[in-house]
Amino acid sequence: MSDALAIVLTAGLTATACALLGPFLVLRRVALMGDAVSHAVLPGIVAAFLIFQTRAPLAVVLGAAVFAVLCVLAIEALRATGLVASDAAIGLVFPALFALGVLGIHRYADDIHLDLDSTIYGEIAFTPFRVLEIGDVALIRSVVVMGAVVTVNLLLVALLWKELKVTSFDPEYARTVGVSPTVLSRLLLIAVAVTAVTAFEAVGAILVVTLLIVPAAAAYLLTDRLVAMVAIAVAIGWVSAVAGYAGAMRIDASIAGAMGLVAAAVFALALLGSPRHGLVPRAVQRARRRRALTRAAAAAAEG
Amino acid sequence: MGWLIDLLPLPYTDAVVVLGAAVLGVAAGVLGALAVLPGRSLVGDALAHSALPGVAIAFLATGAKDPASLLAGAAIAGLVGALMMVGIERSSRIRPDAAIGVVLSSFFSLGIVLLTYISGTGDAQQAGLESYLFGQAAGLLERDVAVMAAVAAAAIACVAIALRPLKTALFDREFAAAAGLPVRVLELATTALLVVAIVLGLRAVGAILMVAMLIVPTVAARQLTSRLAVLLPLAGLIGAGVGVTGALLSSRAEVPTGPVIVLTGTAVVLAAVLLAPARGVVWRAARRRREGRAARVSGVLVDLETALHAGPPPTPAELAMAGARPPREVRRGVRDLDRAGMIERDGDRLRLSERGAAAAHRLLDERRLWSAWLEHGWRLDPGDAREPDPRDLRGSLGDELTDRLIAMAEGRA
Repeated sequence: MSDALAIVLTAGLTATACALLGPFLVLRRVALMGDAVSHAVLPGIVAAFLIFQTRAPLAVVLGAAVFAVLCVLAIEALRATGLVASDAAIGLVFPALFALGVLGIHRYADDIHLDLDSTIYGEIAFTPFRVLEIGDVALIRSVVVMGAVVTVNLLLVALLWKELKVTSFDPEYARTVGVSPTVLSRLLLIAVAVTAVTAFEAVGAILVVTLLIVPAAAAYLLTDRLVAMVAIAVAIGWVSAVAGYAGAMRIDASIAGAMGLVAAAVFALALLGSPRHGLVPRAVQRARRRRALTRAAAAAAEG
Repeated sequence: MGWLIDLLPLPYTDAVVVLGAAVLGVAAGVLGALAVLPGRSLVGDALAHSALPGVAIAFLATGAKDPASLLAGAAIAGLVGALMMVGIERSSRIRPDAAIGVVLSSFFSLGIVLLTYISGTGDAQQAGLESYLFGQAAGLLERDVAVMAAVAAAAIACVAIALRPLKTALFDREFAAAAGLPVRVLELATTALLVVAIVLGLRAVGAILMVAMLIVPTVAARQLTSRLAVLLPLAGLIGAGVGVTGALLSSRAEVPTGPVIVLTGTAVVLAAVLLAPARGVVWRAARRRREGRAARVSGVLVDLETALHAGPPPTPAELAMAGARPPREVRRGVRDLDRAGMIERDGDRLRLSERGAAAAHRLLDERRLWSAWLEHGWRLDPGDAREPDPRDLRGSLGDELTDRLIAMAEGRA
């Protein structure tokens, strides 16, 4: 497998895993859950290092996953009291966990030099070098791992489609028909936490945060149907992966950053040009209506 | 500023940090409320991330690591990001959290691309960005604190002067627009003030932890009051308290200031969410328990009275059967009644004491009166539209109306 293929495939699979969950986060107004998780895993990483005395990815991912799940459950619990809005709950939990992590690094890990940038938060450019050998076949590890995550998320979303849909749009109604919004919300958030943590290691935290929010938000501008929203988000994710990689090669810049910028550009296009919700079509429509009104008024004045 | 530092019984550097934390706490508390209350708590997160390309561009433009120009770059980028956020939210169906997320991701991606470009041009040390992410409270100078205090005072003065229109614009946009208030200008102004607070915090507690400083005071204050005019100063006070406590703790324990301040704030919020009078989780649970217990006791009391009226003294099990209640609930109710001296036991069997009988009659009268109100109340004209209190109908209606109600229920009127 060529390097370019390995990188684009990893990014595309990550984008797919994120786009399966992102639309639900956007609809439930907790879009920043990925960002929260990306900060909240820090104490888990420090703890894993202290306990296992290694920077092996499995230990780090395990420690990070524990704190990611802790983070989303704490946010959900705080929100469930009805005293704190979702966004405020997010903003209270993740800085606290991050602070804990910074203190942990200061206290125990200062001299062992935990390199936050690449070993922990991942770097997609290293993807081709992380190889998994099964028998004689060498596979790119990130592709295998993200492929597995995509499968799990696909199963989860397909099996719980109706429940996720009804709890996203009408939690009260869901409760009366016996679907618990709390349970569904927890399941979804745990899936987000696990997906995010595994993807951090593959492509880096900021790209994961971007892929969870931006394609879903752009898709939300383009359609009113949930199924289409998920499909469009997946498509935007793949476009970002391919075009981002090509762009990064051309200008010799960060691959993750370039992919994020492509996603942002797609969002900007959707914001301007979406047939029903876009700024330009709406402005054109307004102008046309105004002209029609003036013409009608002029006709009335003559007649 | 100097006299204030001399006044504190602390070593000079600690005194500067404590004072800085206090100023920052007040500013973040008051200005943070303007973001948290309209559902934009994480604006701070987005602004903190948008600072990255700002710093990178400032570095590219000046070619030097001059803190002032880097900070200016951060502030300008933050403002641009904030405007885009408000613009996306205002012009489309995208809601605040997703708008914040889109801006955050886009700006940070841009920042990373710029940084790789900068390191590609040969300057590997990427303009000392870590301190902007993690903060360096210990590096605060007296001059910094003075600047922070002046800017914070100006920002708070703006809020105080424009309190009334701000309140309307934040919480009732439709009305504000209809009333001819410059909603857009006010929104722009609050966003600019917020950017100011965040840039102030960048150096002291760092960008990421600044998020918490904006949210903690407002959430804690909201537990204690629902009036904006009280909430704003209270949030400022809580912010200052958290800042000072955290700074003192961190200097005592010799650990980084920012994280300790944030954890102090988290403790304060947790305490407020759990314990605040009337709204706190513990408080509400206690009230629910009290009410549940009262309902159980009166239910069992009435069941017992009815059973005694109909036949021989029942056992608790028979009582549960007669009242169609879970046996456990009846056992608990009986225990509470026993403690209150309302029950006499006759082996297994239960009787009412004199006190118990009186209480049961009172309850039954109350219930009869209430069902009379539900059935015939519409024929009375109580003179005001208030719902009467079910537990004291006679007190709510007055003697004359109550007597008429009883007469109606008994078919005499």
